[in-house]
Order: sequence, then C-alpha cells, then structure tokens
Amino acid sequence: MDFSALAAQLNAGAILPEGIVIITLITVLVGDLIGGRASSRWTPYLAIAGLFAAIVALVYQWDTANPIAFLGGFNSDALSVVFRGIIVLSAMITVPMSIRYVEQSGTSLAEFIVILMTATLGGMVLSGADELVTIFVALETLSISSYLLTGYMKRDPRSNEAALKYLLIGAASSAIFLYGVSLLYGLSGGQTRLSAIAAQLAADSSDAPIGLVVALVFVIAGIAFKIAAVPFHQWTPDVYEGSPTPVVAFLSVGSKAAGFALAIRLLVSVFPLVSEQWHFVFTALAILSMVLGNVVALAQTSMKRLLAYSSIAQAGFVMIGLIVGTEAGYASMVFYLLVYLFMNLGGFTCVILFSLRTGTDQISEYSGLYQKDPLLTLGLSICLLSLGGIPPLAGFFGKLYIFWAGWQAGAYGLVLVGLITSVISIYYYIRVIKMMVVKEPQEMSDSVKNYPPMRWNLPGMRPLQVSLVVALVATSLAGILSNPLFTLANDSITHTPLLKAAIAEQAAAMVSHTETVETIAIAPQ
Amino acid sequence: MTLAEGVQLVSFGLLAAMMIAAALGVVLLSNIVYSAFLLGIVFVSISGMYVLLNAGFVAAAQILIYVGAVNVLILFGIMLVNKREDFAPVRRAWLGKVATGAVCLGLFALLSTMVLGTPWALSSEAAIGDGATVMIGLHFFSDFLLPFELASVLLLIALVGAIILARREFIPDEMPQDTVGDALKLPERPRELVPASRDGAES
Repeated sequence: MDFSALAAQLNAGAILPEGIVIITLITVLVGDLIGGRASSRWTPYLAIAGLFAAIVALVYQWDTANPIAFLGGFNSDALSVVFRGIIVLSAMITVPMSIRYVEQSGTSLAEFIVILMTATLGGMVLSGADELVTIFVALETLSISSYLLTGYMKRDPRSNEAALKYLLIGAASSAIFLYGVSLLYGLSGGQTRLSAIAAQLAADSSDAPIGLVVALVFVIAGIAFKIAAVPFHQWTPDVYEGSPTPVVAFLSVGSKAAGFALAIRLLVSVFPLVSEQWHFVFTALAILSMVLGNVVALAQTSMKRLLAYSSIAQAGFVMIGLIVGTEAGYASMVFYLLVYLFMNLGGFTCVILFSLRTGTDQISEYSGLYQKDPLLTLGLSICLLSLGGIPPLAGFFGKLYIFWAGWQAGAYGLVLVGLITSVISIYYYIRVIKMMVVKEPQEMSDSVKNYPPMRWNLPGMRPLQVSLVVALVATSLAGILSNPLFTLANDSITHTPLLKAAIAEQAAAMVSHTETVETIAIAPQ
Repeated sequence: MTLAEGVQLVSFGLLAAMMIAAALGVVLLSNIVYSAFLLGIVFVSISGMYVLLNAGFVAAAQILIYVGAVNVLILFGIMLVNKREDFAPVRRAWLGKVATGAVCLGLFALLSTMVLGTPWALSSEAAIGDGATVMIGLHFFSDFLLPFELASVLLLIALVGAIILARREFIPDEMPQDTVGDALKLPERPRELVPASRDGAES
C-alpha cells in the first residue's frame, strides 16, 4: 500500500472538527506556558473561538458523501455530527461560565480550559467511533479528563473526595466495559469494526449465544455509568456536589450526550441478535432512573444535589426514545438533548452566579432573592420551569415529543411512568422558584440580605452574563420556534444509514409480530 | 517459537499453579507489602502465558508496563503511606467475607459456563509470532491510526493533570532561618484545607 493511496483511504478530513479542537488546546497550553498568568486574559476567548470553528467545520460535514474515515474506524454520519455538535456546544457555553469561577478559586485557568477541551475531544471521537479500540481510547480520554476536572479545586476537600470516588467507580466500570468489549472481539473471531462484528455474529448463529448476552450486560454497565442511569448512579450526587460547578455543567450535558451516542451506535449496530434483551434492560433502567431520580430529588437541600438527581431523571426520559427505537424515538432523543443542553447549562450558570456572590448553594439560602437580583431569579426560574416541562418553554416540547414518540410505538407503561414522574419533578422545581419569589422581605435569608451589589465589570463576569443570556433566550425561544431544531433532529436520523436499517428491521419485526398475534387469535375459531 | 507438546503442558501447569497461588496470596495475606510483591509474580506468570501463546511482544509489554510501572507505583504508594494503624476487629466480619466469596464464586461459575458454552469463532490465520512488531506498527499507521493519535493526546493531558494535582500552590514569602533543623521540610506555608468557593467569596 503506497502512501498516497493510504492517505486517500484514511479520509482524514472527517475529523477536521476534532483537529481544530486539538490545535486550539495545544495553542492554549503553549500560549499559557509562554505568556504566564497574563495569558488568562485571552486564552478563554481563544478556546471559545476554536470551539466555534469546530462547530462551523461540523456544519460542513453534514451529509458528506463519504462519511467513513480511518478504514472504518470513524464514522462521520449525520448522527455523529449532531452529537458532536451537542458536545462542542456544551463545552462552548461552559468555558465562559468557568472564567470567573476558576479565577476566584485561585487556580489557573488555562489548564482548566485545556482539560475541558480534551474531555470535549474524547466525547466527540466517542460519538463517531465505529471500532472497539477507538471507542475505548475515546471513552478513557473523556473519563480521565473528567476525573482531573472533578479534582481540580484541590484545596477543597469535597472536590478531592468527589474526584477519588469518581476515579474508583469510573475505573471499575471501564474495566467491566472493556471485558464486555473483549468478549465481542472473541465472539466475532478477531474483528474490531462494529459492522464487521455484527456481520460475523449474524453469520455464525441464528439464536443468541450466551456469550453475547454476557457481553451485552457488561457493555451496558459501562454505558449506564456514563449516562448515570439508576443502579449505576451512586457516584452522581457526591461528584456533582463536590466538583467545581462548571465541571458539573459539562458532565451533566456533554459527557451524558457522549454516553447516549455510544449507546445508540453500539447497541443498534452490534446487538440486533439480542435486541429484546437490551430493550428489556433499558426499560428497567429508564423506569428506575425516572422514579428514583425524581423522588429522591424531592428531599434535597443543596441546589447542586437537586440538579444531580434531576439530571438522573432527565436521562431516564431520554432513554424512552432509545427504547422505542422508531424514527420519531431517536429524533426525540436528539431534540431533547439539544433542548436539555440550553436549559441545564442555563440553570448551572445561575447556580454559579449565586455561589460566586454568596458562597453557598443551599436551597434555603435562595429565599427572597427576587428583591435583590431579578435577572438571576428570572434566569433560574425559566430554566427550572423548562426542566420541569411547563408549556411555553423548550423543555415542554422536548418532553411532549418523547412521550408522543413513545405512545406511537406502544410503550404505554413507560410513557405513563414518565408523565407521573414529571409531575413529581414540577413540585421540586417550583419549590425553589417559590423560595426565591414569594418570600417577604423579612423572610430573606442571611446571604441574600448581605447580597453584594451587581458588578458586571469585574473580570470574567461579562462572559458569565453572556452565557446566562444566551441560555435564557435559547430556553425560552426554542420552545416556540422549535421548528429548525425539530428538522435538524429528524434529518440527523433519516440521513443516518445505520439507523435507517435498524428502524426498517424494527418495523418489519413489529409487523410480523402483530401478524403472528393475529393468526394465534384467529386460530381457535 | 515451537515447543514440544510435553514441554508446553508442563510449563503451562507450572505457570498456572504459580499464578493462582500468588493471586490467592495477594487477596488473603494481611500485609500489604507481601500482596504487592505477589501481584508482581502474578503479572510475570501472565506474561509467561503470553510467551506460550507465541505472543512475545505482548509478553514483553506486560512485564515492562505491569511489573515495571504499575507494580512499582503500587509499592511507592505503600511506601509513602506507611502509617501503622490497628483496626478494631469488626463483629460478624465472616458474614461479609462469606457473601463476597459467594458472589465471586457465582460470577466465576457464570463466566466459566459462558466460556465453555460459547462456540468461539476462531481466526483461521496462523499466529504471526516474531513478526508481531512489524504487524503492530503497520496497524498503528493504517486502521488504528486514530486511537494511536488520540492516545498521545490522552497521555499529554494525563501529564498535565498529574502536574496540576502534584504541584504546590504556595511558595513561602521568606525562607526559614533554621536551615539545619528544617532541612527535610518542604518549603510551604502551612495551610488548612478550605472549600474553594467560600474562600473565593470572601476575597
């Protein structure tokens, strides 16, 4: 194989967005080395510019004629483009909200941004990875950067505890995932590309071998850890409470989206033989996540823990779309993740702003905030209402679409559980809003009484304000003007060959299933 | 490398016995230093298995990485935390041990049923043997190029992260006068651990 033929086969243009992210992060790292502390004036903006350039590159990747790159190792189809977009966008909103936070905590900003961008890179490659080795290396890049970010405030004992917990549980779950992946390698006779594994497995046996079921269980353990589905969620509240708030914002959106991208690609392409089993397992995970996440969130007193449990519950809603496996199901997943990105990041921006001004994130300390800081109150209220699914806001349309897709596909039980638990969730979201808005001036908490006057001209406050306003506008308008997002989500599914085949197969299976049911029903007559 | 059938069988038996005995020692001995050294023996036996399977490169990598790096790191960790502490014996500790043993045995039974009951798709290609390094290099620069390059970013960030976690934030304003008495002390201001957010709010 000579060099030019190899270069043409590699099709390296497919990872142009990732390349831009790598170049930006190296520039930030070297610029910080040369410029010293003074460089923190421009490094965050360079990072934002680089991430924006990556999004532009992703737009040009949409519907490319030749999505397969690196000899089948990377797939840049519409699904991966949209998930990579979600991850980059979440990093791009996280950077401005972290500037002031990191500066105030007295740690260096450039390294924080570099690690955050590496996590983004890992997530992006994971969304497009089409081969087991790439999947594992990308997963580890994402995980190790997340552990580092979690422990970044090393003078804070809670941050240390969170990092250690996250590291130990994460390492265990990656080991289990790796074992499952190694079983897939063995079962397929030494293939690592997902499509080759699927073809080999289908050719070997008509019924599912027990090894495949064990591999499935182990792989699901790894994925469920990443998306924090319920039996694998124990790390979430502690890690979310202890780690720096911008990191939590990224983990709850970017890292979770990467987990969902991995789930769709791996489960749909490799495990069609055991599709009944994985649908069953995910149904259980979804119900547990929705119920436990929403019910435990009722009892929380810390805002970060409340958002942690709420993000577990939101992952449960998104899983409904994965389980129903129709075109509308997958599209509703993408749409909900897009909407969730803005409302959750907006919520976290408000939490960061409040903790920067008062140094606490207890829910009781928010009481009476309306009189001192109307903008913050408005932002947090809109984001929480949207997370709860109150009509004119974006979250309502996201939930509506998911539940509609579930109902269409006949997953009545799941949709009912989702509806009931989202009613429960409205209670604890509204509780926070009531705390902020309804309280009389004499009921104000001490930290709100001593609330310092707003000074947006402090270094790093302006970007925070911008990111708050962007998230706010997106959350309130994405509901009413949801058509472009809606079209994007639908197109990303219809333009993905992998999902098209899976959806057709599912539809055929359903038709044959109903036919057998009908014949059985007719037979006795 | 081709060995006679009998030699292969005997060396497999020896390696397996060594591995299982050392692994049991890692789990059962109460002195953590013994456990760490026995873990090294487990890694060496595994690399012997790789040699028997005609995978010389993997065997060498196993010794270099696991014995040379991971195990040495574990020993360093033990050396740095040489605090002796006597724990009060837990009541009904055997209950937990029995439960753990049962879970492990169950998992082992499940996995061995799976291994024995699965029709493994064996690759028909002959083992490459000593040509492995060339083949691995070819793969690294063709179909595994992306993970190979991504691993370099991963290593870079692991380095940066390790330095961030290990470096000292505070350098004293003035050096201590008594240089002889403080010769072994790290030059650092004594600092209590404080929550970063609260600290930030005061400033």
